[in-house]
Amino acid sequence: MEALNALGGFFTSIGGLVADPINLLVLFGAVVMGIIFGATPGLTATLGVALLTTLTYGMNQSTAMIALLAIYVGGVYGGSYASILINIPGTAAAAATALDGYPIAMRGEGGRALGLTTTASAIGTIIGMIFVVSLSPLISELALQFTSFEFFLLAFFGIIISGTLTSPDLVYKGWIAGFLGLFLAMVGRDALQFYPRFTFGNSQLDGGLEVVPVLIGAFGIPQIIQVLKDKFVPKQAAKLDRIVPDFKTIGRNFKHIIRSALIGVGIGAVPGIGEDIAGWVSYGTAKNASKTPEQFGKGSYEAVVSTETANNACIGGAMIPLLSLGVPGSPPAAMLLGALMLHGVAPGPMLRIDHPGFIGEISAILLLASIAMWIAGMLLAKQVVKVLRIPPAIFMPIIAVLAVIGSYALGTKVFNLYLMVPVGIIAYFLTEMGYPIAPLVIGVILGPMADQNLRRGLMISGGSFAPIFTRPVALILFLVIVFTIVSQLPFYKRWMGDLRSRVAERRQARSSSGANKPE
Amino acid sequence: MKRVFALVVALALVAGFAFAAAEQEFPARDITTIVVWGAGGGTDTSVRVIMGEMANELGVPINVINVTGGSAGSVGMAEAYSRDADGYTLAGLSESNTTTGVMVADWDNTVDVWDWFLVGGSPDVVSVTPDLPYETIDDLVAAAQAAPGSIKAGAGGAGSIHHVNLLAFEQGSGADFDFIPYDGSAPSQNAAMTGEVQLVVTSVAEQAELIRAGRLRPLAVLVPDAFTISGQTIPSAFDTIPALAEVLPIQQAIGFAIRADAPEEVKAKIGEAFEAAMQSDTVQQFGEERFYVLSGAYGDEAKEIMQGLQSSLSWAVWEQGIGVDDPASLGIPRP
Repeated sequence: MEALNALGGFFTSIGGLVADPINLLVLFGAVVMGIIFGATPGLTATLGVALLTTLTYGMNQSTAMIALLAIYVGGVYGGSYASILINIPGTAAAAATALDGYPIAMRGEGGRALGLTTTASAIGTIIGMIFVVSLSPLISELALQFTSFEFFLLAFFGIIISGTLTSPDLVYKGWIAGFLGLFLAMVGRDALQFYPRFTFGNSQLDGGLEVVPVLIGAFGIPQIIQVLKDKFVPKQAAKLDRIVPDFKTIGRNFKHIIRSALIGVGIGAVPGIGEDIAGWVSYGTAKNASKTPEQFGKGSYEAVVSTETANNACIGGAMIPLLSLGVPGSPPAAMLLGALMLHGVAPGPMLRIDHPGFIGEISAILLLASIAMWIAGMLLAKQVVKVLRIPPAIFMPIIAVLAVIGSYALGTKVFNLYLMVPVGIIAYFLTEMGYPIAPLVIGVILGPMADQNLRRGLMISGGSFAPIFTRPVALILFLVIVFTIVSQLPFYKRWMGDLRSRVAERRQARSSSGANKPE
Repeated sequence: MKRVFALVVALALVAGFAFAAAEQEFPARDITTIVVWGAGGGTDTSVRVIMGEMANELGVPINVINVTGGSAGSVGMAEAYSRDADGYTLAGLSESNTTTGVMVADWDNTVDVWDWFLVGGSPDVVSVTPDLPYETIDDLVAAAQAAPGSIKAGAGGAGSIHHVNLLAFEQGSGADFDFIPYDGSAPSQNAAMTGEVQLVVTSVAEQAELIRAGRLRPLAVLVPDAFTISGQTIPSAFDTIPALAEVLPIQQAIGFAIRADAPEEVKAKIGEAFEAAMQSDTVQQFGEERFYVLSGAYGDEAKEIMQGLQSSLSWAVWEQGIGVDDPASLGIPRP
């Protein structure tokens, strides 16, 4: 019944919103702004939403929501540009996209990759939207199954899985990088007792390491050094003309799209985690489900489509607890909460009573934003791909300047630069030694969540780990983590290899004996 | 030669304008307000609303930026304080900033270095999950006295205003709870939804939606007067537990500040604009929607309020063992 009401509001809203030319102007303007924010390393979707919130104060509520959701959608999508073209994720959400997007661009198919991610992102957003409108109440109840232990396990899983997926040679290196990130996350005052840890009396470190300078330093600086050192020229220019949606590839990857969208919505719906984890988890699942997992990391279309669908589907997912519980599902959604409050809408369990059409309206805006994103993306991608034609000797210093500005812009703190540069240099040497950098960044992002929730969980249980085994969601997460680790260990691989060859032998024996019978 | 001459003329013109601007009455250019807490939070939203109205009064745009980090907003506060005391930089602050002197080594100032303008704040309320049998604050206190530490109470991290309110409530009532810290009010309330804690102490504004939906049962507000929200009156805990009056209220105070050494005429101009902005429909409506008790205090009155909060909060965090500078050494009297 509730879903039907929301659906009714949805259709009336679309008509009302499109009828106003100002709304359309704001819609496209905000989407393009979001794409630019997303594509610039250092400027994130969160920052975009935060900055725009101020500007929307004078607008009416619908126009403001259009602006904010459009910049959110554009920002999450735009991150893929930098990932694919320069191997520096524009946002943390697009970090997993870089793994395969960049190799594709190196093959000279940057245009095709961008066309694919554009369509995948649009589909992801729309699927997320469908969940907002139909399953809001149901999903928000599931989110209530998450207590401290579940949050800890989820964060730990995020670090382990990104370590597993990104290691070029030894999986242990990925885990080591992840734990290094976890250690960096311990710097600063802890959020529970507020005790300073590893701050050396410097109050700038009290608040912990900020993610954005770490992200830019860790991904940007090694990339800049590497490209300048190798005098590397990407061989892309030849195939720039083909920026087409490439529906054939989309169709072939349809099951990946649906699966990734569901993962994205699910992860978005869990409060506190967002687009970045959705990208990684979806990447990992796609790799496991793929018929050609060996292609992952070398420029697989399945990978790019999966990560980009998931991180955009996450937007809808993150709206669900925001609208039904007043609990933001992701960092940009936390900004949205503030913006909604400014416009006199208090999200929460009472929202469906106070503002009956509001969920329908939000869904309508999400649909419009994803269409606008697709159109803007198709037009922009062609121009943006041209940056690859710029010689690296000119391009990389520009990226370096942008990285510095990006780190500084967030909070206008010079300290962020002191943070970015050493992190970048450490990351360069780690890369040289074959350690993946992504798990380190994921560790920094998820570290506080893992730390706080583990300690809080133990506080609540009186120091006992029993709840991990007695709570169903926690147990499932725990088993998934154990499996993720065990499946990478040598003895398990050997055992599985043996099993597989034995099964194959038996099957062969059976089929050959079967084939022999008629004779 | 011609070019050099043109340049000199241009420079002279610019300099002339600059001097003219300096001569002009305050405010002659944009004002920047540095909010030391994150975008979208309580301080941020309140400051943005009041700045929007004050910009109309003063006739110049006011840019609101967020400089977060450090402890108790120390990074943003140091940034705002390092700028000229000319009124073109304001600091968006809250009651938690009164503990900065105790919390960080490199900020040794007290609230006296600022002149405060207080928008207001939302009172703290003690609520339980509806599955608990307690209908009044006395039921709760009796149960907590009978089995000390059996009820899990969620609030923000150690030293946050809600934690200090919980501590004062325990002290005044003789009840003993098992305090579980969260990194903010929203996560602590969410934990009550999942059943992880049974009691939460956060502000009425933060709990409003959950109270109205019946997902939290408010027992009492920790201020002397009852508070009405959507027709439901929440009694004051002071009514039945008079001892609370000795340790409470410790009430949220959100607003902004200007360096105390700024020129008096600038402070007066800002005071006028602030007074007018507080009376505006936008701010009044904002206060009502957000369940604030609007203050409007500035000058000596505001300074006195902040000094009181500074005593309660600074000594509370010092006794929690998380401070780095002894409040006594900063000249902060015990509450």
